[in-house]
Amino acid sequence: MNLSQVQALMPLLILSLTAVMLMIQASIKRDQATAWVITAIGLVLTIWGAIYARDFSQTVTILFNVDPWGLFFSSLMALAALVTLLLSRESFADEGQRKEEYYLLLVLSLLGALVLIQSSHMVSLLLGMELMGVALYVMIAFPEKGELPVEAAIKYLVLSACASVILLYGFALLYAATGELSYAGLGVKAGQAYAQNPLLILAGTGMVISGIGFKLSLVPFHMWTPDVYQGAPTPVTGYLATVSKGAVFVALTRMYLDGQLYQYPSLISALAVIAIASMLIGNLLALRQNNIKRLLAYSSIAHLGYLLVVLIALTGKGLASDAVTYYLTAYVLTSLAAFAVIARVSGEDATQCQISAYEGLFWRDKVQAICLTVALLSLAGIPLTAGFIGKFYVITVGVQSSLWALLAAVVVGSAIAIYYYLRIIFAMSKVPEDTVEHQAYPGRVLALFLTLLVLVLGSWPESFINYATSL
Amino acid sequence: MLEISLFYIAATVALVATILAMTRANAIHALIYLIVSLLAVAVIFFLIGAPFAAALEIVIYAGAIMVLFVFVIMMLNLGEEGDAREKQWLSPAVWAGPTLLAVILFAELLYIISSVEGPVSTAQVTAKQVGLTLFGPYVLAVEIASMLLLAGLVGSYHLGRRALDRNIDEADARALFNSDPNSDPNSDPNSDPNSDPNSDPNSDSNAGRGEQ
Repeated sequence: MNLSQVQALMPLLILSLTAVMLMIQASIKRDQATAWVITAIGLVLTIWGAIYARDFSQTVTILFNVDPWGLFFSSLMALAALVTLLLSRESFADEGQRKEEYYLLLVLSLLGALVLIQSSHMVSLLLGMELMGVALYVMIAFPEKGELPVEAAIKYLVLSACASVILLYGFALLYAATGELSYAGLGVKAGQAYAQNPLLILAGTGMVISGIGFKLSLVPFHMWTPDVYQGAPTPVTGYLATVSKGAVFVALTRMYLDGQLYQYPSLISALAVIAIASMLIGNLLALRQNNIKRLLAYSSIAHLGYLLVVLIALTGKGLASDAVTYYLTAYVLTSLAAFAVIARVSGEDATQCQISAYEGLFWRDKVQAICLTVALLSLAGIPLTAGFIGKFYVITVGVQSSLWALLAAVVVGSAIAIYYYLRIIFAMSKVPEDTVEHQAYPGRVLALFLTLLVLVLGSWPESFINYATSL
Repeated sequence: MLEISLFYIAATVALVATILAMTRANAIHALIYLIVSLLAVAVIFFLIGAPFAAALEIVIYAGAIMVLFVFVIMMLNLGEEGDAREKQWLSPAVWAGPTLLAVILFAELLYIISSVEGPVSTAQVTAKQVGLTLFGPYVLAVEIASMLLLAGLVGSYHLGRRALDRNIDEADARALFNSDPNSDPNSDPNSDPNSDPNSDPNSDSNAGRGEQ
């Protein structure tokens, strides 16, 4: 490894250094305010590092492929982690003295996500996924009170371990068929191996898709999502919804493109079935939810289904890869805005997560209510928000590739989704019967900032689209 | 042909041991079968020409991790009840099955070492090759794995620390309920807040009760 390769890994190095600094700080004096500041500085420097490393884009050993596309997502995920950090400051306020571990785990989990995003090899894919997952299990179980977080963490741990095992088995089958572990090598050799032994390649890719589908909570593998979303502390839920899913999707896209998985028609039809099921079942199950975190869990299942439509149309750089960039960015920012409001309004109180707790929010706290409304409208795909352009991209890509069945599912799913998003907005606009409580919630600036990003991305998308095309 | 049949014997042992490990109701019985299963996998590694991986499998998995599991489970069984249970583990019904499977593996290994001339498999992966690969192209994977271990360590520390605190709290609560000093002299040291520096969250309530 030469100097420019080290420079290309700058975001990973900064994050690792932050983790080491946190360990040293904890061994000298356990102070969570200091730990918080170190983590915040580390995350800001990581965003800077991702911009700095752009001049050194290259493949680093066989494990990493540092390119502007991955670096953009690295900075986006670091931003999401920074938002999580800001939200966690108040959320665990009554958790006693031991919060430094949380910051350390957040940094390690983000490190795993960045490894995933830049991986070009199955080993780095698996290591990144596990690093992100192991840190997440503990972050989910972090609150010391209540049984829901522990239950959620155990569910996530057991099912996630099963998914990792299936993924590993898939890798082993692909390795047995091709003798390659890097995506590029897989892409070169898999075609020939497929002609010799199609079953091995299909079983291998099928298992890989199942393992990754679990992390993305696509439909046959989605059972854990609502329980984990509900049980985890709200900032961690936001982190899980954005960083964990976003990073895994970027890794899947890379593997799909570099491994040329689009050349197997049976794999495409399997992905199409998963996408349609995710869109329809995710949206239908969301209709019956009264808990806002569970509702967003089902809505995230549907959103990953929309993203899968783009993935199916993907065959290289072009409109489809821009669509992935745009939709993922819009989804991450919108979810963060929604969870920023939920973390303030609901806090860690399980009863406050019911939709009924949001009744009359417009009269209690206008700013938070408006932010949540914009976020929900963006998730629903209403014009002037980022979600609209994202969905526009999905439909354009689908029309170009003539994926009519998938497009029908997108339209039906979006129509169902509008109902349950509007349900929350109606609840918020109800006139409260007793106007006794008028507490304002803290942390408006963050929610406003994220909402503004969502609106800017949806109203003036040209500059970002040009930027996404240049990646 | 010889390699194939040896492989199938070891693979059958691995499968049988794993299935038995999954179906045992007792954790110790399951763990012993799991150790046999790992030994069988080590023999397979040996057969396909990876003696270093075979040694690691035994040293790390069967040796360190599984023995740690067994130790933890045995340490949880303290007291007379635990003694009775440990006596029961020494009965032949418990160790006969794993021993039989292990003897099959041992006989296989003895046969290979004593009677096979030359390499059993066509390719061989030496320890040097493993090291060169691990610290050559895969050096970053080693670094990430170290971070993975750090995450696991910090995570288990946090969760385990919490369970430890809860045990201390429960001990304090028990001491509180046995407030009659004559009924249970063993609980007296616990109910004295000054003798137990770890019980800081409950020491105030303890002291309050003492004054009453």
